[in-house]
Amino acid sequence: MFENLTSLEWLLWLILAGLLLFGLMAVNALAAVYAERKLSAFMQDRLGPMGQGAGFHAGKWGMLQTVADALKLILKEDIIPRAADRRLFIIAPYIIFIGAFIAIAALPFSEYIQVIDINLGIFYLLAVCSLGVVGLITAGWASDNKWSLYGALRSAAQIVSYEIPAALSIIVVVMLTSTLDLQGIIRSQEGVIWGILPNWIIFNNPFAFLAFFIYFISGVAETNRTPFDIPEAESELVAGFHTEYSGMRWAFFFLSEYANMFIVCGIATVAFLGGWQSPVPGFMDSGAWGLFWFFGKVLFLIFVMIWFRWTFPRLRVDQLMGVAWKVLLPLALLNIFGVGLWSLYIG
Amino acid sequence: MSRYFANIWETVTTLMIGLGVTLKHLWHIRRGYVTLQYPEEKWPRPERKIGFDHDDYNVIRSRLHVDIDDCIGCMKCERACPVGCIHITTVKVPKDVDLGTTSNDTKKRLLVTRFDIDMSECMYCNLCTYPCPESCIYMTGGPNSGKHPIDYEFSEFDRCNLIYRFANVSPEEVERITTSSAKPRTEGVAA
Repeated sequence: MFENLTSLEWLLWLILAGLLLFGLMAVNALAAVYAERKLSAFMQDRLGPMGQGAGFHAGKWGMLQTVADALKLILKEDIIPRAADRRLFIIAPYIIFIGAFIAIAALPFSEYIQVIDINLGIFYLLAVCSLGVVGLITAGWASDNKWSLYGALRSAAQIVSYEIPAALSIIVVVMLTSTLDLQGIIRSQEGVIWGILPNWIIFNNPFAFLAFFIYFISGVAETNRTPFDIPEAESELVAGFHTEYSGMRWAFFFLSEYANMFIVCGIATVAFLGGWQSPVPGFMDSGAWGLFWFFGKVLFLIFVMIWFRWTFPRLRVDQLMGVAWKVLLPLALLNIFGVGLWSLYIG
Repeated sequence: MSRYFANIWETVTTLMIGLGVTLKHLWHIRRGYVTLQYPEEKWPRPERKIGFDHDDYNVIRSRLHVDIDDCIGCMKCERACPVGCIHITTVKVPKDVDLGTTSNDTKKRLLVTRFDIDMSECMYCNLCTYPCPESCIYMTGGPNSGKHPIDYEFSEFDRCNLIYRFANVSPEEVERITTSSAKPRTEGVAA
């Protein structure tokens, strides 16, 4: 598609795609924060933001609440602590943001809509997803604050640990589909299996079913969300690595956190839930419906993440490492072995 | 080894129970929420029974109110107030000026030019209401609450607005009434 473009057209195309992706991230963050506040309220028998009263208020059912919050964050004073490492402090939110941004660029939103389609897609996503941790450590170090540093070190330990079971459960998918290309992985999940179920990897065999849950749990841990939110444990570390941040820089952390949720759910959708494929083959699965199914699955998984957050208590640091190294890692290795046997003798 | 898998199984099943609980609350939000949409919704007035025999004492004391048309300017409430938050000024009017009568058919003889109650000083003891011969000063929600709806949240942006000024005669009117002894008047000043 791009072979005949001049360099100017190429540049315009890049800028347009970047703006669209940024818009997607912003809208995703706004909607997810609103959903998070509302769902958490409902789970706790509250109403959440409602926007009642006269004068300025946040719309019906508080729908403009997150827009108002975003405006507030943009207008807030930019505070940089005097003792902070100024240059690193400024650059850290952007490192995290870029990590999320270049990952979201590779997600296949539908059969035709994908910003970059590289044949190493899933490998690229796994690699890029761990870029964020560099930003976290930078932020924690540059803040010159013991809570920030603790948070940064914890998040480094956590993300590095949970990368491994996540990657190992993705290997199951690669073994079954024999490709690293995201579109190829989705295409191989076409059709029906076991008579009625869609031919998604999650339904392919029991090991793949388990692999999905291992990946999803690791994904929740990688996004630093409850029950794995020890890098920013409010009750212990104030706010962890972003304690000293405020205003727009803090908003960038927030934006990347929710973008990371989107990415992790997107990878889970692509690798295990058939990407843009319809759950019923042949039913609403052409053209724009792909977009619908992809976003539907991703949003459902985001809902599950929010659901986790407001149900489970936080793990202790040693328990967190225990889950990764003693439970998820052996199970993921066992899975690879099982899938190997399965495709050798049954599949 | 079996202990290991039993632990995993127990973790998974108990986590599912927890997820079920939160999902149930999410599902039943329409009939189970506890939030009060405060300015639009208010808690109902609580029943008050603090052990007095007379029912008049078993009521909520809230905001002071004066029916200024019934006030005869006797100043009994001002003298009764322990904190001195009521300030009344009266002016004697000439013999031939008729100020009208109260709802108890008492003839009004003094012109009340100032009747200020500083609600920020008021301690809600209700002592000013008992000596009033015309029952014109009362706590809304108090013994005479039938006269006035309950109001227990009278917050203001400016502290000065908590000084309630009940007198309704302007200085010009006071001037006119006190100097108009030449010609007799029939209508009340409150009109």
